[in-house]
Amino acid sequence: MKFYTLFFCLLFINGLVFGQRNHPVQDTTKLSLRKDTVKQLKEVVIKDRRSQLRKKEESLNVEIVGSDFIQRNLGGSLMQSLERLPGIKTIGIGSGQSKPLIRGLGFNRVLVVDQGLKHEGQQWGADHGLEIDQFAAGEVELIKGAASFMYGPDAIAGVINVKPQPIPAVNSMGGSVNLLAKSNNNLYGSSVNFYGRKEHWFFDTRLTYQNYGDYRVPADTIFVYDYAVKLHDRQLRNTAGRETAIHFSSGYVGKGFKSVFYLSNVYSKSGFFANAHGLEPRNVDTKMHDASSRDILMPAQEVNHFKLINRTEYQVNTHKIALDLGYQRNFRQEFSQYVNHGYMPPVYPDTLSVAPNLEREFDKQVYSLHLSDQFFVGRHQISAGLNSEFQHNNINGWTFLVPSFKQVMAGVFAYDKYRVNENLILHGALRYDISHIRLVKYTDWFNSERAVAGKVVQEKLVRSEDLSRSFNSLVWSVGLNYNPGQFLLKANLGKSFRMPIAKELGANGVNYHYFSYEKGDPDLDPEQSYQADLSLGWTADNWSVLVSPFYNYFPNYIYLNPTSGHDYYQGAGNQIFQYAQSKVLRYGGEVELKIKLLKSLSTAFLGEYLQAKQLSGDKRGYTLPFSPPASALFNLTWSPAFTERFQKSWFSIDYRLTAKQDNIVPPEKKTPGYSLINLQVGTAVCFQKQPVLISLQAQNLMNTRYLNHTSFYRLIGLPEAGRNLIISLKVPFNIPSNH
Amino acid sequence: MKNKSLLVSCLLLAVFFSNCSKDKAEPIDTIYPEINMDFPDAFPKQCSVVKRGEKFLFKALLSDNGQLGSLNVDIHHNFDHHTHSTELVECEMSPVKQAVKPFLLIKNIIIPAGLKSYQVNAEIEVPVDVDPGDYHFMIRLTDKEGWQTIKGLSVKIN
Repeated sequence: MKFYTLFFCLLFINGLVFGQRNHPVQDTTKLSLRKDTVKQLKEVVIKDRRSQLRKKEESLNVEIVGSDFIQRNLGGSLMQSLERLPGIKTIGIGSGQSKPLIRGLGFNRVLVVDQGLKHEGQQWGADHGLEIDQFAAGEVELIKGAASFMYGPDAIAGVINVKPQPIPAVNSMGGSVNLLAKSNNNLYGSSVNFYGRKEHWFFDTRLTYQNYGDYRVPADTIFVYDYAVKLHDRQLRNTAGRETAIHFSSGYVGKGFKSVFYLSNVYSKSGFFANAHGLEPRNVDTKMHDASSRDILMPAQEVNHFKLINRTEYQVNTHKIALDLGYQRNFRQEFSQYVNHGYMPPVYPDTLSVAPNLEREFDKQVYSLHLSDQFFVGRHQISAGLNSEFQHNNINGWTFLVPSFKQVMAGVFAYDKYRVNENLILHGALRYDISHIRLVKYTDWFNSERAVAGKVVQEKLVRSEDLSRSFNSLVWSVGLNYNPGQFLLKANLGKSFRMPIAKELGANGVNYHYFSYEKGDPDLDPEQSYQADLSLGWTADNWSVLVSPFYNYFPNYIYLNPTSGHDYYQGAGNQIFQYAQSKVLRYGGEVELKIKLLKSLSTAFLGEYLQAKQLSGDKRGYTLPFSPPASALFNLTWSPAFTERFQKSWFSIDYRLTAKQDNIVPPEKKTPGYSLINLQVGTAVCFQKQPVLISLQAQNLMNTRYLNHTSFYRLIGLPEAGRNLIISLKVPFNIPSNH
Repeated sequence: MKNKSLLVSCLLLAVFFSNCSKDKAEPIDTIYPEINMDFPDAFPKQCSVVKRGEKFLFKALLSDNGQLGSLNVDIHHNFDHHTHSTELVECEMSPVKQAVKPFLLIKNIIIPAGLKSYQVNAEIEVPVDVDPGDYHFMIRLTDKEGWQTIKGLSVKIN
């Protein structure tokens, strides 16, 4: 009986959530203005409860944050805003580009889901960002641990699921205006949202624009090797950028039926630090660069990500059937003046069809289809479905790193969530994937030299041969949740897999950003991983604690191994970096302790620790690249409720201690520890019966000069951004309907 | 009470879990190899001049805490002043010009296996018909573990 009560409560809350804005609130007709204010508050409460519930019911470690968290911790990109969460780090370049690291794993081992479909960019590059507009995120769900079975392969480290804003309520029209300014890189930006809904039909639009200048570091001179680079006004030359994003969604919401189209285009252009392209010190025209801190000269990158997605949901009896169809195009260009490295001709030939400034170009088109059904059989909640994806990748530019390729994959999965009793849930999942990749032959456009029997031979090198590989894999996961009252126990054991990417199989070129000759291995096996996750928690009235250790073993971790050799022929004299597989053991975990000191005063401690070790191969005994050092965050938050006008206010101070990282692998450098102070202050003021959100942040308050071990610029010793004051304003508005 | 002891035992378990696999730390090599060119007859040095049609001796002292790996030298033109050397001292540069037949050398120099230090004495011949002007002399040295040290010198070919 008890079980059913709980069960129905869950269903009810679930229903509330999925239809947050769908179902009219009972007292709608009279005062629509008031209605929306009331509803806004309700929404927050429900969301919070649902995320609590979701966390409890998932056997993996889940963090859920809403748009209010992003608003409070707004960083240069979505991932920088989420970096405060334990176990989450970023690999970044500059002030606006960064990609996720979950417990020290990133690139193609983290799966990002946007609007229900896997986000496909050029995940392998440390200097590439994540093409997602943080203002458009309604809620972000982070799953730490092997979550392969639901989302497809690649989710070895975890999943970052960016969910859209909820569908507007019936007979509503409104929106919001976000304004944003940052002192460090003189950023200004705005995001405008406008939505409306009659009975069944709705639309939701958003326009985002951001424009920023070169970012400042707490240093007048920096050293690339021994070469001193004097900075103008403490700014890193040419790190400015622009970003625009357009979103439009529209669809039909009926009883038991919903179909939504979603269209978006995210564009960004940003410069790379001009005094070094990768590891290479560059001599630049400082006068030209310093004329403006907002111009984007070379080297620079330009990325455009287009998405068109339809999601249709149909509910019949206990079945919830969902079909996602999607098309994405990621078009990326990297610009740099032509420099004849290696055997390239000294003068760029005008007969070449490639523009002389186009160093690299990646054009990726992805078609995806997901079909799933969720239904109940007794106490079993079963999800089953299939995912499939077709990819088409083209390359261009005067350097070669990765060949063009086509890839097709399909997978089927079944997931059973068995509610044994009120306190215990068991989870079991199975997934089977097949995939096929076809690499296209690439031949250099210039001659290389080779001495054959004492004679110098000139020939165009074949960098990559045609290659066709197929993979298949069966993965599984079992887990449990035991939650009697205040105690919480989660355990999960799973196997996941990832098929080797084109770069790992077919790279054969010099990456002049690193002075490395990167060589793929066409015989690589799919990467496999076994991971055990545990979460132990206790929640009392005034405090709570959560400890989440994990243990992870890779029989064949694929990584780029810097060897001791140089290749003078294909590698133009550069160090050979060879893709290889080795046994890897990783373990670590996070701790969260929260204490409510007074009614409006609370404190929190978040800690994370990670250890990785290669157990075989050439780098036996070494860690993995980009291993974040241990860190701890101490927070004190005062959230007083002043008057009715100032409903929610917060004063929050974060003190983050990061340990040194001496555990490194070539070509990394040891990174000293540091401490940072961040402040967050904000309030929600009731203006015209709408909660206007004002938030202020001071990041790196003490203007500390420090190095980030996981930053792309770490290798050339560029310090991270100095003090940054951020002010943001969110003004919601509501257009009352006539009837 | 029962709850409390459950909590404590769980925390202990968690501590144990996160510590159990701490193995004895084997020392790993994290030291880069060194290219020493500070001794009197080391050559070339920053801003050195070499002549077309002549040979010169590349002399440097290489060392590593463990075992040296491989060595590569690369001479390429810097007529456009595009890249900079890794060194502190700036050299006087000739005006920017377009390359016609620039000297290009990419050469692996063999270091005998198993050495901690090695003095390289390699003869390099500059052809008579190459463009004179500003060049870079790049030295790339690895150790057995794959640590690489790069030294980029500005030299002139007359």
